[in-house]
Amino acid sequence: MRKIISLGLLWITVLFSCTDQQRVSPPAQKLTDNLEIQGRPIRVVTTIGMIADLAKNIGGEMVEVTSLMGTGVDPHLYKASAGDVTLVSQADLILYNGLHLEAGMSGVLERLSDQKPNQVLAVTKNIDRLKLTAPPEFAGAYDPHVWFDVTLWTNVAETIRSALVKLMPSAEAHFQTRAKKYILQLEDLHIYVKEKATQIEASKRVLVTAHDAFGYFGQAYGFEVRGLQGISTATEAGTADVRNLAQFIADRKIPAIFVESSVPRQSIEAVQAAVQARKFEVQIGGELFSDAMGNPDTKEGTYIGMVQHNIDTIFDGLTGNN
Amino acid sequence: MQVFLYLFSDYTLRTVAIGTAILGIVSGALGSYAVLRKQSLVGDAISHAALPGICLAFLITDSKAPFVMVVGASLAGWLGILVVTAIVRNTRIKEDAALGIILAVFFGVGIVLLTLIQKMPNANQAGLDKFLFGQAAALLERDIKTMGIIGVMVIGLTLLFWKEFKLLCFDPAFGASLGFPMKILDILLMTLIVMAIVIGLQAVGVVLMSAMVVAPASAARQWTNRLAFMVCLAAFFGAMAGITGAVISSTAAKIPTGPMIVICASIIFLFSLAFAPNRGLIWRLRLKKVKFDLETTEVDSG
Amino acid sequence: MPINQSSSAIEVTDLTVAYQEKPVLWDIDMSVPPGVLMAIVGPNGAGKTTLIKAILGLVRSTSGQMLIYGKPYQQQRHIVSYVPQRGSVDWDFPTTVKDVVIMGRYGALGWLRRPGKQEKKLASEAMEKVGILNLENRQISQLSGGQQQRVFLARALTQDAQIYFMDEPFQGVDATTERAIVSLLQQFRQEGKTVVVVHHDLQTVSDYFDWVTLLNVRRIASGPVDAIFNESNLRQTYGGRIGFLKTEQEMSKPQVLTEPTL
Repeated sequence: MRKIISLGLLWITVLFSCTDQQRVSPPAQKLTDNLEIQGRPIRVVTTIGMIADLAKNIGGEMVEVTSLMGTGVDPHLYKASAGDVTLVSQADLILYNGLHLEAGMSGVLERLSDQKPNQVLAVTKNIDRLKLTAPPEFAGAYDPHVWFDVTLWTNVAETIRSALVKLMPSAEAHFQTRAKKYILQLEDLHIYVKEKATQIEASKRVLVTAHDAFGYFGQAYGFEVRGLQGISTATEAGTADVRNLAQFIADRKIPAIFVESSVPRQSIEAVQAAVQARKFEVQIGGELFSDAMGNPDTKEGTYIGMVQHNIDTIFDGLTGNN
Repeated sequence: MQVFLYLFSDYTLRTVAIGTAILGIVSGALGSYAVLRKQSLVGDAISHAALPGICLAFLITDSKAPFVMVVGASLAGWLGILVVTAIVRNTRIKEDAALGIILAVFFGVGIVLLTLIQKMPNANQAGLDKFLFGQAAALLERDIKTMGIIGVMVIGLTLLFWKEFKLLCFDPAFGASLGFPMKILDILLMTLIVMAIVIGLQAVGVVLMSAMVVAPASAARQWTNRLAFMVCLAAFFGAMAGITGAVISSTAAKIPTGPMIVICASIIFLFSLAFAPNRGLIWRLRLKKVKFDLETTEVDSG
Repeated sequence: MPINQSSSAIEVTDLTVAYQEKPVLWDIDMSVPPGVLMAIVGPNGAGKTTLIKAILGLVRSTSGQMLIYGKPYQQQRHIVSYVPQRGSVDWDFPTTVKDVVIMGRYGALGWLRRPGKQEKKLASEAMEKVGILNLENRQISQLSGGQQQRVFLARALTQDAQIYFMDEPFQGVDATTERAIVSLLQQFRQEGKTVVVVHHDLQTVSDYFDWVTLLNVRRIASGPVDAIFNESNLRQTYGGRIGFLKTEQEMSKPQVLTEPTL
């Protein structure tokens, strides 16, 4: 019996040393300043799905995009697995949101930046910091949920386009055309959301969700925004938070509150129960996509579809069109 | 304190406090048996072992309904205990090592499953990791009902088999000689402990539940030498920790409830450790001093 | 003198008990007539406790058959009383003397039923008989070794059994307790009960017991004390690590010099 156990332990140790990623991953292209891809699509790996969607739309057939975080995954809590590290080590371009969104991956991203200095890119880096908000509870860091202001996301699209052009200058025209086309769509989207928002009565334009993901949305489209948990879902909502939010909802007689796909439903249900105890009926207006998009192959699995779905759901919920 | 009045007026606090009180009572009472049998590590092992059960239950049923989670967690915790018993009976590995192994292996498998679920394109999977640390503020009435029903069953069975469990814990050889099937009683008691742990997972989470099994019972032991009183006192301490933790965490925003409950339980334990009569440290120090004084005075007068 | 099988109190045939290939008891045959006070003696590790536990079904035996008054132990539990070693129990457990003594009635109560007035009365009688009634509400950790042993005895008394198995009851007890145990044993003999005692003190075997079994993994010898408890058998049991002090007056009674250990 003892023999079997020691053999087993030895075997496990050997196994573990063999799978050490540092030694197994094939050496990527030589780390030069001017990496150029020719003859094959650019291998792009992104963290959140929204960035992947952008990269696909701008790159077309010149890119091969994989997203580490899938549907319904919470980027604040996500930790990279060993398989992710392999994927990433073979990528030509690594795109992440930055602004501490991918808190669980910060170590991995830092190491990658050291290894591949010009291939790891925080897509928010060109956004004018004056346009970002720095909420006090987030310890002076910026609110990372920039994709809900379509104009900010347009800036991100331009950043990605530039990065792709740098990696494959021969396809510059291709990227420029596609980016232009897509940005036009984004501008249309921005107008759509704005108009829909104005159709909601000003006093009812209050968006209550599971966490503070919609700050920029509120700023851009005229909503007062409240979340149960803070900027990051890593914190636990306390009873005081539930109580205060429930009181707020009951006082302002807000018709609907919203759950998010990447955050457990239960916390919003608890808020609803607390509001009901205050003798006010608030509906759960529907599910919004906050930190992750919907299922792939659905409309909500794209950025544009997701934003549209969100504003439509918010509209229906707050105007009582259920 | 004005904030305690909120217990009655605020719906959320009331709901959470009832839930954490049930948790405290059941884990305190059953924890007494674990502590007396020197199986305190069991609480830790079972609560960590529950994680893969929760993940598998989700993978199989695609649902995060409380009932499903409870069943998954119980089966996994139970399986963990069976494996521990098998290891202890059939190898030379002692119980504490076996419990440690099960804790690590099961929990590791649970984390792997969580990571796997993260990778799946299923929009429903958010929040399974909340079972790691609990989310007491999100307790709903239906959760309280589930906890209450299971809690009543567990306490009921404990009362029903009171003398049998006393025999099991104190003198199992004698009990076996009387004809009681000690192995079956052992499994029954273990099952009740598993249930006690599982109902608390939603509120305080996997990592902290072990404290709720050990702290109230150890605190109660300091105050009494009678089993019945110890179990009741442990339940009482558990409830106190639960309610106080819930209340304190409600006073300010962003104080997590689960850890606060465990802090309260620890304070109760430390207080009992220091101040209980006869077994408390302060008492014992004073007794030593009295003895010393006595001896020195005798010498003087002699 | 051959003993009729069906009339022995204990009948053990071919008993072997092994823990992980190490034999603890090997091919034991033993026949104990009813109404005797029997001592089981042997060096440490001889398997004395295991023998009792095997007869009571508390340890698994590799082979062998054990009958108590002609039937296997499962059918005879109501007439059997087992007094384990004092050290096998955690005396820090939160319970009182009375509580432990009442445990003796659990077998008769069966599943789920609680001890009531009747059980408390029987317990009080038993406690008085061994002289610990005044301690009934005391926590068991506050007792001396001898008092603890008497708690176990009182518990055994409440069982009102026909055959008693005791594991080293005389170990580490004071004189009062020793006298109490001996008087109890005498009473049992008068009542025709059978008592089997794992005994550690060779000096007192012939004083207290009328039957003896010498054990060292195998059964060395078994029978009446006068016939069996002699120098040659003892040498065989203890492997030569035993001394005999022969005084002029008591040449016929072997006395042991040292307590041999394996």
